[in-house]
Amino acid sequence: MSRLLDKNLSRRRFLGLSSCALATVAVGSQVKVLKALAMTGKVSEPTAMTSKDVFTSCEMCVNKCGVIARVKNGVIHKLDPNPDYIKSRNMLCARGNAGTQAVYDPDRLKYPLIRVGERGEGKWRRASWDEALDLVMKNMNEIAEKYTRAGMMFASTEGFQEHFFLMLAEAYGSPNTVRHATLCLSSNIQGFGATYGTNPNPDVLNSDYIIMSGANRSEAFITPDTIDFLKGDGGQRKVVYLDPRFTKTAAKADEWYPIKPGGDMAFILAMINVIVSEGLFNQAYLDEHTVGFDKLVPHIEPYTPEWAEGECEIAAADIRRIAKEFAAAAPKAVYYQGRRSSFFSNDTQMRRAMAILNAIIGNWDVPGGMIPSGKIKLAEHVYVAPWYDDVPDRLDKDCVTYLSEKDGSWKHFRDRVIAGEPYPVKGMMVYKQNPVASIPNRAKTLEMMKQMDFICSIDITMSDTAWLSDVVLPEATYLERMDPVESIPGLLPLLSLRHQVIEPLFEAKPCLWIMQQLAKRMGDEAAEMYDYTIEEFVEHQLSLLPGAREMLDSKGIYYENATPVYGSSFGKPLKTKSGKIEIYSEKYAENGHDPLPVFTAQTTVPQGKYRLLVGRHAYFTHGTTANNPYLHDLMPENTLWLNAGEAKRMGLKHGQRVRVKSPVGEEVLALEATEKIRPDSVYMCHGFGVLSKEQTKIYGKGGCDAALLEDEVCPISGNVAMHHTFVEIFPA
Amino acid sequence: MNNKRFAMVLDTRKCIDCKACTVACKAENHVPLGRENHRNWVTEEHLRGKFPLLGQSYTPGQCMHCGNTPCKRVCPTSATGQNQDGIVTVEEHKCIGCKYCMTACPYDARYYNEEIGAVDKCTFCAHRIYIGRLPACVETCPTKVRVFGDLNDPNSEVSRLLAKYPHRVIKEEMGTKPYLFYLI
Repeated sequence: MSRLLDKNLSRRRFLGLSSCALATVAVGSQVKVLKALAMTGKVSEPTAMTSKDVFTSCEMCVNKCGVIARVKNGVIHKLDPNPDYIKSRNMLCARGNAGTQAVYDPDRLKYPLIRVGERGEGKWRRASWDEALDLVMKNMNEIAEKYTRAGMMFASTEGFQEHFFLMLAEAYGSPNTVRHATLCLSSNIQGFGATYGTNPNPDVLNSDYIIMSGANRSEAFITPDTIDFLKGDGGQRKVVYLDPRFTKTAAKADEWYPIKPGGDMAFILAMINVIVSEGLFNQAYLDEHTVGFDKLVPHIEPYTPEWAEGECEIAAADIRRIAKEFAAAAPKAVYYQGRRSSFFSNDTQMRRAMAILNAIIGNWDVPGGMIPSGKIKLAEHVYVAPWYDDVPDRLDKDCVTYLSEKDGSWKHFRDRVIAGEPYPVKGMMVYKQNPVASIPNRAKTLEMMKQMDFICSIDITMSDTAWLSDVVLPEATYLERMDPVESIPGLLPLLSLRHQVIEPLFEAKPCLWIMQQLAKRMGDEAAEMYDYTIEEFVEHQLSLLPGAREMLDSKGIYYENATPVYGSSFGKPLKTKSGKIEIYSEKYAENGHDPLPVFTAQTTVPQGKYRLLVGRHAYFTHGTTANNPYLHDLMPENTLWLNAGEAKRMGLKHGQRVRVKSPVGEEVLALEATEKIRPDSVYMCHGFGVLSKEQTKIYGKGGCDAALLEDEVCPISGNVAMHHTFVEIFPA
Repeated sequence: MNNKRFAMVLDTRKCIDCKACTVACKAENHVPLGRENHRNWVTEEHLRGKFPLLGQSYTPGQCMHCGNTPCKRVCPTSATGQNQDGIVTVEEHKCIGCKYCMTACPYDARYYNEEIGAVDKCTFCAHRIYIGRLPACVETCPTKVRVFGDLNDPNSEVSRLLAKYPHRVIKEEMGTKPYLFYLI
């Protein structure tokens, strides 16, 4: 026994107790990469022979789950779940576990790079930080002089240091920040926000009846919902799942319906119809908490289950039964709104229908229902940005009814850059976002970038957007930097602090440092906006919360309640015009939108074509992780799902390569003939078909959905419609 | 460890095939990159039915730490051994890479590790459990499909689960007496 223990210790490469452990031949992949790089003099060999555990939070996706990083001899040996982190329930998914490879992947960005060939040719030279930053500043100044300060756009996506990047736009004087929201859930937030004044959280764990529509929780992880929706020991919960695909969530659901794309709103309206016409609601509750139910009653009359059956292809009897079961389980029942991008251009109204259905069964702010987000308040970061005269409005101003000043609407923004109207935008600073791979209609994104005078990307890998940039700056990964405290709202509001786990490898730097260097070059006023260390910033953030830092340091989390708080919204007006839940939306009526959701049928799939569906996978986050070595092993390329019967009819064989053609692009990838999808639709996983040859594992593999998708958009929220596109399939 | 019999109980009804276990294991045990190299896995079982009446289950697997070990029997150099606590071991310096054990294992639970020049497989994360921690796959599992513990302890969670629920083992007919139990 003791012999085995010794042996195991010597074999477990990073667990060696003797100081010569690193000198042995059998080294794990992390150390091997480091040693190989050390031999070329690129990094120094890890020397500190210590072992420590560091609390941090994951950045492999947006969930920010709790992590304990196990560091041995200066190398991150393993990322383990933090058992005290109430949001992630002591788990880490495949991506979370693959986080070490974000640090030790040979494909990561290592040094500042300046383009020497044509854009996209992949010819770079290594530059010093000073040279690269000087070049960025020179170009930014030229653009301000030649055009206006609004001629620079700042594209970014959420992250704990994004705040510092967004401040740079202010320091520089551009209104044009463009974030991910309109490729994400802005229609969802808009639809629920118009109804409740906020986008509430389904209390999944305590709900007895959950209808998930297009929210593939077993593959598109949201913690804790992904964990909570599965029935535990003796659970009573029923899950009804609507999706044109048989996903892993479908495999776990009590009932799965391959709903016709575009039919979700019909299904929801018919459920409302049943609940209203059969009187399965509490009138006194509705009178007290809502406005507009009286207008809903006549509005919903034509939307019978029998009508809806034709639109959503779910039997009227099933809709009727589900509606009754749902109402019977109320208020511990939720129509789960999901967290995904828009389906169609009427998505905001579809989300409104979801919100109204939830409202009429009275599940607002009670256990098992829809709970408004709590949030722990941090001390505000107050700073003074330089003042610039004559800066125009946002480029995409007034493109849709409700445009977020911070997020913009990517589709409209891009169109106006291409048109050069109302003014030219000729410079692009990109932080952490990958617009080339993420905005539908990639050809247009490439066109937009082609007309830029200057593009700089800050990232950890050579994304497609970085690949097409003029200067690429390497950011330190989430395990190599300390981040500001993040106040994470939701059912279980908490604070998360990403402690620095190791020193940045190569010449990677935290976003704050990069911003400080650029601000210095802008002048004293800008530099003052960043005049602190990250430690000082964190100290200020926590200044209102005595004891918070201690808990963050000792447990890796700060929270005030370990279980949801219900009823906090009662007795106070909601953030809607009426202060109540708005079944009927006066503000939509005023802006020329339907005040109650009106069903509009989507175009029927034309003969010989298929509807292209997008979706997520538990192994990948958007376009960012498919090249991660561990995750790449799980799925080396994506495929085109086509119903097996359709494949047979078309004479196409499983595994053969096919050419997929849409009105805006063409991609080639392998066919997956499967029973798991409706005959009228096809699906491909996001994140493949990359342009960047420095994503070495996935370059040349699979197809890119953004290259095929058309850029239809929701007129209320500005969100792109992801399920609008039809494609044709040919043998490749 | 003496007086213990380690085992794992799996509730596959909760498995969503997210592969957290597979990546956690690869990271924890420095399993070389490559799709063929792994100590544990999740099998997508055959899709049942025809569209739209479909069903599918997912079955995690790994070395079953059998009571009757075909791998140990065929090893010509006694590189494969078994602890009193049931953990089946491979001593890499004794392994000559003949791969007889890989052929003998009915669960395909072993792979040849080029980096160490020996056959490698699940150890129930012995280096973790001997210091009181859980195997990496058990700890990380989002939906807590896997429960690990000592079957000699009647109060352990594995013992209680097996007493409470019907269960099965895989390829029982092979007579290997596996110690991974799947709840039905």
